[in-house]
Amino acid sequence: MKRYDLIVIGGGPAGLSAATEAAKHGLHPVVFDENARPGGQLFKQIHKFFGSKEHKAKIRGFQIGEELLEEAEKYGVEVCLNAAVIGLYPEKEVTVRIGEEVKHVKGDAVLVATGASENMVTFPGWTLPGVIGAGAAQTMMNLHHVKAGEKILMLGSGNVGLVVSFQLMQAGCEVVALVDAAKRVGGYGVHAAKVARLGVPFYLSHTIVEAEGSDCVTGVTIAQVDEKFQFIEGTKKHFDVDTICMAVGLSPMSQLLMQAGCKMEDTPGGCVPVCDASGATSVPGIYAAGDVSGIEEASSAMIEGRISGAVIAEYLGYITEEGKKARERELEEALEALRKGMFAPENRGKLLEKTEEGIDISMNLLEKGYVAEDEIERYPGVTHMAGVHPVMECTQNIPCNPCQDACAKGCISIGKNITSLPVVVPGAECIGCGMCVASCSGQAIFLVDEESEPGYGTVTLPYEFLPLPEAGEKGIALGRDGTKVCDCEVVSCKSAKAFDHTNLLTIKVPADMTMKARFYKKGAKFCQA
Amino acid sequence: MVDIQEKLKEIGPFVPGAEDDLLICRCEEVTKGEIRKAVHEGIFTVEEMRRYLRNGMGLCQGQTCGRLVKGIMARELKVRPAEIEPATARAPMRPIEMRILAEDGGDRE
Repeated sequence: MKRYDLIVIGGGPAGLSAATEAAKHGLHPVVFDENARPGGQLFKQIHKFFGSKEHKAKIRGFQIGEELLEEAEKYGVEVCLNAAVIGLYPEKEVTVRIGEEVKHVKGDAVLVATGASENMVTFPGWTLPGVIGAGAAQTMMNLHHVKAGEKILMLGSGNVGLVVSFQLMQAGCEVVALVDAAKRVGGYGVHAAKVARLGVPFYLSHTIVEAEGSDCVTGVTIAQVDEKFQFIEGTKKHFDVDTICMAVGLSPMSQLLMQAGCKMEDTPGGCVPVCDASGATSVPGIYAAGDVSGIEEASSAMIEGRISGAVIAEYLGYITEEGKKARERELEEALEALRKGMFAPENRGKLLEKTEEGIDISMNLLEKGYVAEDEIERYPGVTHMAGVHPVMECTQNIPCNPCQDACAKGCISIGKNITSLPVVVPGAECIGCGMCVASCSGQAIFLVDEESEPGYGTVTLPYEFLPLPEAGEKGIALGRDGTKVCDCEVVSCKSAKAFDHTNLLTIKVPADMTMKARFYKKGAKFCQA
Repeated sequence: MVDIQEKLKEIGPFVPGAEDDLLICRCEEVTKGEIRKAVHEGIFTVEEMRRYLRNGMGLCQGQTCGRLVKGIMARELKVRPAEIEPATARAPMRPIEMRILAEDGGDRE
């Protein structure tokens, strides 16, 4: 039987990171992945990631995937594709189906990084063609360049539902509504605001009554739910749609660990192995990293993988205990930073009413997806001054700070605490370069000149839609809620390599609209006001 | 050990529901009503349910319906989903053709 130092099951962000880390320390790992391409979900992620430099913030997910693959190759990690692991046994024997054969291999250590699968909710019509997972929609759009549908209803307001809704709109689909049975938006406020300003209505405390259609989805009815998630009579709303997307959470694919006899724990987030901080399970030599050990996101999965990789290197005698501890400390610090702020694991399901700075959280953001006009002025990134200056509509404490490094002039400060809200540094001079606008993964930074000429001002906003507007083009400016605030004219639309496909669109609006106009639509046909 | 007769008394008789025709396990076409009814026939664990109704025994191996079945059983039994004993995990973990599985010669090299 072929023997490996380390067998990694699953070539996503956690598995590849673990194998690379282990290979750096001299191990010969093999990665088995049942897919035709490695990288797991990373290659579907076309948005810029959050975090700090060390977490590869402001880099798009698929680019992080490419970097990871390059690194794995450099250190000689063997990646075996189209290889479905069908069994894992306590003595660390793995059976894997490759082509027409079942191979038996043995690892001195085994790391399970099989990730998670999408949850579904049921309603009459949920088995109709046209009801799909948000992940499936992402695969269709971003990997295969196929439109998932024309008119889509999204169920789920977590980060997956929000990010995929935005991407569907980018692909040219119409998202008619974003629905969630919960009372408040589950994902980052900045992701919600991006979707809301496109004019997508949010229906919180609502869920699907039924999907209509005989051969495929032709419509959907939603209704409001009470505290006990029972439908409230007289609240039904109907939408003509051809697609219903579900983004209602993920469940760890932990069956291999269960089969291997690892101690398991049934949590509200799914069945997960009981493991220590390094991912060591109750079976010596069997480890778990990434979503399979508890749902988080790709950035933390990559760090978890690296921690497991270092710990396995020590377990097998490739590095000393001191070496392992030093590496663990470094990585754990990075992981802790990601687990800070309002969306930290310990804050799940809690309603926070104030930011770390003691500012009231926008309730409108949580209930409707955008910060109301009477709320926005209380945040430190929102200031008024003469000339062009950044307006940072960042209102929740999330671990992210690329804006701070983006400004060469030092206009923006977050400080040592990565979750702090950004502030405009008094006295620093904004030259209007727009690097901050392009660097903000949440697309929450705007450059505003409240009076560029008598009676008029300009707003520069992040724009990731095609075709790009042209200078001189006339259109309408949309507010944070996606409704028309005024007519406007395009001053310029700048693209640069450093902006990484976030174009900077500058529009001219009446002076009193500079703090209201936050998105642009060509022509007036989208007018909803 | 759960006293099945006591538990059945506690949860009361099976009452038909409006959504009983809803498909839960798409691979093996098992409905919500069938699962609910099975609980009232004394099926209290996911493992037993799989053997009884074949839910979760199809192509996706319960990846989609597993959580749904557990939720339905928990509501019927008036317990938290985590209290329902999960199904055993066993190989083959992924669908595989019998001809390939039959050729599996163990660790011969």
